[in-house]
Amino acid sequence: MKLTIDERWELIDRISRQTVAFGGYKHTLKDAIGDLTVKPLTGIPIALTVLYGFWSFFCSFAGFFTDGFMVKIFDDHWLPWLMEVFPDPDGWLFKIFVGEYGAESCFEAFGVLTSGLFVAVGVVLPAIVAFYLFLIVMEDTGYLPRLAVLIDTLLHKIGLHGFAVVPMILSLGCNVPGVTATRNLETEKQRFMMIALLSVFIPCGAQLGVMLELVPEYVGWIMIFLIMGMFVFGFILNKLIPGRAPEILMDVPPYRKPRWRNVGNKLWMRTSSFFTTAIPFVLLGVVLVNLMYLTGMMDRLATVFSPLLTGYFGVPEETVAPLVAGFLRKDLAIFQLASMEMTAGQLITSIVLISLYFPCIATFAMIIREGWSSGWKGVLKYLAGSLLVLGFVVFVWVGVLRIILMIMGVD
Amino acid sequence: MSNGTAFSYGRMYFAPLGLAMLAFGCAQIILGVAGRTYTWGLMDLSGEFMLWRGVILFFAGFILLSSLKDFSNIHQQGKMVLANGMVWVIACMEIFAMIAESVPGGEDGGWFNTLDGFLGAYAGPYIPSLWLLPFSLVALHYIRLSRRGSNAVIP
Repeated sequence: MKLTIDERWELIDRISRQTVAFGGYKHTLKDAIGDLTVKPLTGIPIALTVLYGFWSFFCSFAGFFTDGFMVKIFDDHWLPWLMEVFPDPDGWLFKIFVGEYGAESCFEAFGVLTSGLFVAVGVVLPAIVAFYLFLIVMEDTGYLPRLAVLIDTLLHKIGLHGFAVVPMILSLGCNVPGVTATRNLETEKQRFMMIALLSVFIPCGAQLGVMLELVPEYVGWIMIFLIMGMFVFGFILNKLIPGRAPEILMDVPPYRKPRWRNVGNKLWMRTSSFFTTAIPFVLLGVVLVNLMYLTGMMDRLATVFSPLLTGYFGVPEETVAPLVAGFLRKDLAIFQLASMEMTAGQLITSIVLISLYFPCIATFAMIIREGWSSGWKGVLKYLAGSLLVLGFVVFVWVGVLRIILMIMGVD
Repeated sequence: MSNGTAFSYGRMYFAPLGLAMLAFGCAQIILGVAGRTYTWGLMDLSGEFMLWRGVILFFAGFILLSSLKDFSNIHQQGKMVLANGMVWVIACMEIFAMIAESVPGGEDGGWFNTLDGFLGAYAGPYIPSLWLLPFSLVALHYIRLSRRGSNAVIP
């Protein structure tokens, strides 16, 4: 049986009359609040408030565990006990596992079982838990899609769209899931841009946690500078890279009360991956840096890179050690930086340099894996492209920072 | 009390509250930009994120005042709830920070704080949002009213 267009419409009308109940819909307070959070005039102040809530919660939660208990556990009990029981304080093993003999805090010792464990468990773990807890609550209440809608216009200026906020926010926890989350972007151009930008400009939660613990007064400024860099270089990349940046339609769910069981499960799932992906790299990083010091390789590297580090970037040549450690873990590198004697300007520059100069090894591996979906060509494209962006960004953006610091009179 | 009367009272109540938010927000922004702090009795205009808090409070006041026109409309009430919610976020985070600071014993103390130290952490002065918190809780009454559905407006 073949129906004409009119007959089809008639059939549709008849079915819908029998199956659909029509009536007025009363807007609820939840609907009204949902609308207000995506309108720029009210949505931006609310986003600012949520961001404040996040930052304040992050600082208080991480501070409670790290300053309140972890510092005491590691410095007053763990370190003195290790110094006492670990044999041969002059031996290589002592230097690698415990660090500097007579150090008064895990901050100074720099051994695998002292600084390594302190960074991973004492500083980074509380920061990661705080970050993911807040993020999961935002996801489960339905605020995250609204934030995506709100930021959509701004991200279109750099060739991305609102959903790019998901990998961005995830990267603030860890760049690895951030890179994976770029799969929700529509085109190859958008994916490449997002991967390059987040692996360079977005510091992970671990790095943020260490920065907050060691240089809290500079964290805000450093973040502003990095975010500015992301938009500046995003704009440039959007102009240079061929490809499409299409519009999308987003389905925004209603606001919901989070189920605490789900929150707990998600938190456990995400935090437990930190134990397997992050902690081994932190410990390995400490071993590698200590071995390089003991064999004299670090001094040789410092001499080789001295003209670049002291001349162009204006940081001490000893920064080479944190740069090596930063390849494994950025949080470890920042931790190392803070124990070096530097001026305020040098400290800010070196933290930005560490943030920008190379993604950590886990992110690097993830970029290769993502590129692999398009075969060897994809891997080469993602790697070469990311490294090209990276090299350009490091020299230009750190140079800009030095000029800004000079103008502001920061020594 | 009928809904109409409740909304009339609501407008009268939230107008000065909105002005207070706006005023405190402005004061914190000015002090924050100037890099200064001010403490008067139990009122504290200082702290790490004062400028940020000031901007939020300013917008909260602005949104609350803009909700007063046609206050019985559910969308306007949404603005009122959001404005008060912004104050709740700042105040709750401040309370959370106080709790987090009050429990551990400090650098030279024991594992946990002494009773005096614990209670001392809650002594003033307090930031403006904490002072505004009890007054902003009246918004809960209007949330309850809207949940009953009697004040919904069909567009």
